[in-house]
Amino acid sequence: MPLITIDHVSMSYGTPPRTVLDRVDLEIEEGEFVCVLGQTGCGKSTLLRLVLGSEHPVHGRILIDGREHRQPDRSRGYVPQKYSLFPDKTVLDNITFGPEVSEFRLWNRWTPRFHRRRKELREEALDYLQRIGLTEADGDKYPDQLSGGMQQRVAIAQALMTRPRILLMDEAFSALDPGTRREMQRLIRSLWEASSTTILFVTHNTHEALRLGTRVIVLAKDSPSQGSRVALNLRVPDPCHEAEMPALVNRLESISQGAARAETVAVI
Amino acid sequence: MSAGFLLIHAKPGRTGALILSWVIFALGIVAYFAISHARHRENPEDRVMPSIAQMASGIFDAALKPAEDDDAQVAAGNIAQRFFASMLWKDTKATSRRFLYSMLLLIPAVLLGLHMGLFPYIGVFFLRFVLFFDKIVALSLLPILFIAFGIDELSKVMLIVIGVAPTVILDTFNLTRSVPPEQVVKAFTLGARDFDVAYRVVLKQIMPRVLNSIRLNLKAVMLFLFAGEMIASTDGLAYRIALLRRHMGMDVIIPYVLWVALLLFLVDWGMRVVNRTLHPWFHE
Repeated sequence: MPLITIDHVSMSYGTPPRTVLDRVDLEIEEGEFVCVLGQTGCGKSTLLRLVLGSEHPVHGRILIDGREHRQPDRSRGYVPQKYSLFPDKTVLDNITFGPEVSEFRLWNRWTPRFHRRRKELREEALDYLQRIGLTEADGDKYPDQLSGGMQQRVAIAQALMTRPRILLMDEAFSALDPGTRREMQRLIRSLWEASSTTILFVTHNTHEALRLGTRVIVLAKDSPSQGSRVALNLRVPDPCHEAEMPALVNRLESISQGAARAETVAVI
Repeated sequence: MSAGFLLIHAKPGRTGALILSWVIFALGIVAYFAISHARHRENPEDRVMPSIAQMASGIFDAALKPAEDDDAQVAAGNIAQRFFASMLWKDTKATSRRFLYSMLLLIPAVLLGLHMGLFPYIGVFFLRFVLFFDKIVALSLLPILFIAFGIDELSKVMLIVIGVAPTVILDTFNLTRSVPPEQVVKAFTLGARDFDVAYRVVLKQIMPRVLNSIRLNLKAVMLFLFAGEMIASTDGLAYRIALLRRHMGMDVIIPYVLWVALLLFLVDWGMRVVNRTLHPWFHE
């Protein structure tokens, strides 16, 4: 059984309704790294929010492990492009927030057990800090004292600390400079290889999608008035050869612009 | 001559800025005593603009002697004992107590605003009513409050709460709504429950702004408190000012007004320090 099943999902907003997604079907297996590609406004982030459970489809259903989820929960980690960290918490507190909040209720925070557990979690968070390339001293900083790249590193560590089965990343590296972006791509790829987490990664950058994903989904509209559908479902060879990149990039970009159609799964 | 100091890009030096910030105070004091001096030359009994000596004597009496209507018997003793039995201290204590009760009653207002902003059903249940209530002029309710709650402390505290709470509720509601939805979704994905999101994520983030909002409302709190005290009270700073007005006691009224301003300034400064200490991450 696929881990994520997107079954004939349509989504529209506003009055009169403006269709964003139109009968999208997709299945994602456990352990895959799926990149969702498409032009601005094609519904990539909407699709991600539907999988997250923060929005609900107008038609169709989304199943996680065969069950519908009506609200975000800790089975699905989330790294947005902005506001990914809690500004009032230090880096370490941001990373340990997940386990702390799920293990201890609001009124259990003053017990000795909480303080013992907190100590253990901080040790684990420090380990994560090293893995994402930050120092122990960075642990006591507040998010606004970090660069954009460092903030996203911490956001990834924060999401992975709760060991979610699925990690949903919404244009997580879009605001970063090219150098930092490459670093972050290497980091997320190595973290994914070291874990069994399934990643759904939304991006508008074709190179990024091909470098990271084991599969690339292209969302595109047949006409501006219609909702987006899956225009291409492409299994990417691992690793994607640099020599093949330009041709693939051209193909994917023309599909995402609606210039070409390829409804079937393509295996290269 | 270049008038560079009037330009947008002008940068006042540290000393210059300090001096400039005190100029109006100095001019005000000088102008007051100059006019007062001139009036006293014409009429040595003038009570409208008391002289330095009259004012000093008024302050001395207010800060070291009990009120005439007070039966306290501390004519002798050290300065501290006399101060704590004085009219000024007694009035300050009475006003501060009411002020404190009012501030404590604003805590439920903050929590209501938070819940209205986060929980849609609570929001739709209360929002229209609070918006309507916010438009009612609190002072117009004063007679109703006196009839309903009597002329005791409760009516005065209720006046302040009714006057300020809707603004605080709406401010907190708007601040809650301004927290990026990504933060709320993120908290859920990390395992937080509804109340964790409310108290461990949203309230913590909006708290510095809520405190700033309350700071901005301090003057309104005092305004309603003074209205209540002036109309129906037997003690308090505003009661004393209203009482002394009948006797043209400007030598005490002016120090009292300045004392109230100083107290309010200290409360505001204290809240700013607390805000900065509790929320080092917050930058306006």
